[in-house]
Amino acid sequence: MKRIVLIEPNSVLAKLYRQMLQKNGYDVVHVTTAQAGIDAVDAAKPHAVVLELQIPTHNGIEFLHEFRSYPEWNDIPVIVNTVITPERLQGLEESFTQDLAVGAILYKPKTSLDQLLLALKEQLP
Amino acid sequence: MYAGKDSTATLQAVAEQLKVPLTIIARQAELNQALGQTEADDLRAMHLQATTALTLIDCYLLGLALAQGQTQLELEPVSLSSMLTSTAHDLYYLARQHGVELEVQVAGRYAPVMANRRGLKAALLSLGYDLISSNNTSGDNRYRHLTLAAHRTPHGLVAGMYGEYQDIEAHEWRTALKLCGQAGQPFTSLCAGSGAGLFVADIILRSMTTQLRVGRRQKEAGLAATFLPSQQLVFI
Repeated sequence: MKRIVLIEPNSVLAKLYRQMLQKNGYDVVHVTTAQAGIDAVDAAKPHAVVLELQIPTHNGIEFLHEFRSYPEWNDIPVIVNTVITPERLQGLEESFTQDLAVGAILYKPKTSLDQLLLALKEQLP
Repeated sequence: MYAGKDSTATLQAVAEQLKVPLTIIARQAELNQALGQTEADDLRAMHLQATTALTLIDCYLLGLALAQGQTQLELEPVSLSSMLTSTAHDLYYLARQHGVELEVQVAGRYAPVMANRRGLKAALLSLGYDLISSNNTSGDNRYRHLTLAAHRTPHGLVAGMYGEYQDIEAHEWRTALKLCGQAGQPFTSLCAGSGAGLFVADIILRSMTTQLRVGRRQKEAGLAATFLPSQQLVFI
């Protein structure tokens, strides 16, 4: 069973994602903050991370920089699923995909559960 | 401070904030369809999120009308104790949905304060929505605690909401006010979103001659406003 660390500050939304992912055979570890995300990756050794950029205390970009600073996690795909509009992320795409090896950047309000699932399947064939 | 250009900034913050409950409704409907079921609990969850979004819009519109001078809130004697209890009641289901335990703590019996019932309720609801819907715990999978509290100070009676936000500093709130509508996440130590509910609460409170400030109470921190006691009743 593929394991996902889901970093999502909204617990209601997280519950919905968890239900959908579990229904499709994924094991989900949900956390709400960047630090908890690092701890969860360390403990759960996930196959992929799904990340909201707007998280409390330390934002998702800070998480990504710390996450990618550990060589042993370099191969773990990250999917950004965020409420931040694509316009606001303009100029950051290259840094996300190249420097931080983000597999996909999804705009959460426009991303259906199926599309998220598809993005995960592309990252975890 | 929110009039004119800043009203647009606040509107932008509200629009950002509304994405979350509306996304929840859309995804919940999608999941129900995928699972071939529409449970009563799920319908209640969708209804609650829709109601939350609509109430935030109402609070924003009130704040906007106040900031633009289109309406005024008459100050009247208001009991903080009953207002906090009533607000906790209104927030109960949302808090339960987000795994937050609400507690009302009013230390002692206080005379009414000068405020406006409708405005104060709108401000407290806006504040509560943001604090409840943003998880901010270092350790996950635990029940969070949010206290609606009032206490006396030399400057008046302070009412607000407090939780485990130990790292909040007053300068962060001042910076967040300047970033309202400009930054996607202006107040990282308190909430994950645009902070629209906090700004709307502040707009409404300013129309009642007070404002939100960072406050501390026992071992908790949060946002609170100071109200003057009703002089009319003090003399009785």
